[in-house]
Amino acid sequence: MRITEIIYLVMVSIMQNKFKVLLTSLGIIVGAMTIVMVIAIGVGGQMDVADQFKNLNAGTIEIESISATSATVDMRQMMQMMQMRSSASTSSSNSNIATLTVSDTEEMVLFINGIKDISLVASSSQSVYGGDLDETTTYTIVGASEEYQTITNLSMYMGEFITSEMEETEARSVILGYDVATEIFTYPMLAYESEIAIDDRTYTVAGVLNKTSNILNGNTVDSCIYMPYSTAEKNIFDTDIKPQMVVLAEDVDQVATIIAKASVLLKEIHPQGEFTISDAGAEMEAALSSANTLSMLLLAVATIVFIVGGIGIMNVLFVSVKERTPEIGVLKALGTSKLDILLQFLIEANLISVIGGIIGVGLSYVIMPLMQDVIRMEPTTEAGIMALVFAIVTGTVFGFYPAYQASQLRPIEALNAK
Amino acid sequence: MNVIEMNNICKSYQMGAEKLQVLKDVCITIEQGEFVAILGPSGSGKSTLMNIIGCMDISDSGEYTLSGIPVHKSRESKLGKIRNEQIGFIFQKYQLINKYNVLQNVILPLLARGQSRRQAKHVGIEKIRSVGLSDRIYHKPSELSGGQQQRVAIARAIAGNPSILLADEPTGALDTNTGKEVMEIFKKLHQEGNTIVMITHDVGIAENAERIIRIVDGCVA
Repeated sequence: MRITEIIYLVMVSIMQNKFKVLLTSLGIIVGAMTIVMVIAIGVGGQMDVADQFKNLNAGTIEIESISATSATVDMRQMMQMMQMRSSASTSSSNSNIATLTVSDTEEMVLFINGIKDISLVASSSQSVYGGDLDETTTYTIVGASEEYQTITNLSMYMGEFITSEMEETEARSVILGYDVATEIFTYPMLAYESEIAIDDRTYTVAGVLNKTSNILNGNTVDSCIYMPYSTAEKNIFDTDIKPQMVVLAEDVDQVATIIAKASVLLKEIHPQGEFTISDAGAEMEAALSSANTLSMLLLAVATIVFIVGGIGIMNVLFVSVKERTPEIGVLKALGTSKLDILLQFLIEANLISVIGGIIGVGLSYVIMPLMQDVIRMEPTTEAGIMALVFAIVTGTVFGFYPAYQASQLRPIEALNAK
Repeated sequence: MNVIEMNNICKSYQMGAEKLQVLKDVCITIEQGEFVAILGPSGSGKSTLMNIIGCMDISDSGEYTLSGIPVHKSRESKLGKIRNEQIGFIFQKYQLINKYNVLQNVILPLLARGQSRRQAKHVGIEKIRSVGLSDRIYHKPSELSGGQQQRVAIARAIAGNPSILLADEPTGALDTNTGKEVMEIFKKLHQEGNTIVMITHDVGIAENAERIIRIVDGCVA
């Protein structure tokens, strides 16, 4: 039989059992949807990571003292811990926890070549009052130096960032993240040169940062209040604060050397300290690889969904072959070849799964925008194609055995089957 | 010229421990253009004989030549081709495929032969007209009466221009009047030169044929 005629007959058959076809392809619909969305989540995750590191210079190095009583262990910190095992780090007993200080940064600049910028960074949550706020609200206060702006590529919406003069005078000046400025003053414009109270002391707003969705040193930039490190150390931070050191190398090639030298230097200054030193490139790689692991995991789940869907198709086809045994008998009596009967069932299985695949991909494009608030999804054409390919493969693999069985029926027995 | 030549055809089935000899040395010769009835009570082996004539089963021994083709030497894959080209089946229960319309059913043997729908359509429509169902071409078999369905089956049987029409109790599922109508079509087809082999247990129906071959206990009587 001509292949076009086989397809035509299969189409006639499918058009008359639309509901049954839909039910059969349910597994494939769900499978295709899962694949598209899972890949979208994977890509979304990678883009999230990329966004996070968007403002970080490739030559950035972060140095952190390890604390056994770390308050929050987030993904990045975990990543850093993993990093520590492979990259340079000094290790000693955990009894004394070293605290990085401003003088450490000065020594770093003094003894290590190739450092372009360096800043100490620390943060603490404080209650803030002022502007249009009805009650005191808790915000993250970040202490940093002038150089922090160049290291992290922060850009100003208005006013200026921390200056060396502010640092020297321990000025009561703050720079607001865009969201903070909006929340406190409704219009960020109004924030400039206004006053806010942090922990009952008054500060003047020296500037507002541009909106960015960045996360720097574990803090969401838009929701932070920045001030000179010296000011924060004097007025805000407790003695158990855990500052981080952020270093920008003059050249990316020098990163490894600086890490090695810093490790030696810090061990000399803090013999009992233990530090993790990580560079932005390695950190980003680690974050990306964890995002990749996540997408592989999700893809495995999608594959399982497809297998289950395929078994569903196979089941229905087995029943279908049984049900249609007399029909197969007629086709055989009329001289239809085994191959033609095999192809007829195989093409039917394939069409069902392709229809299911298309519906599934279509549905996923309807659902994804609705879920955008829950999780970031980035739909890709590749994902849609992959889902369709999976659907076709599933239909072929699971449709083959029932189709083969149909083709092997003996004409007399098939004709007389009831 | 002989369309069917059967010599010493034997067929047996294994029924549990016993071997059941269904056909014993059957010899039949049917000439081109004959209308033959094979008459026998149930259990006489006439169904087995029909399966062998229809190339759906092969004999244990003996020779069967259909239009010069030595069927007894053919394998299943070859038998399908022989069925398609040489035999037009008409079954007791019509055996139409319900999801296909009348035309699609009728052209199935032509499609199986590798023709395109376009090529087969003309022949199909002409054959449907010849059985008087021109106004039912796009109907489903389930929308037709038993007699009409059997006429569709006849149209399907003649669509492929086979050397014999093989009818198995063609009126068995029909009432007397409709049965008569179907017999009239058979007679007309016979007059047009078709070779018809009809298997039946009904003497009244068998009498429509030119010649009656009686089969009793697996032997030609």
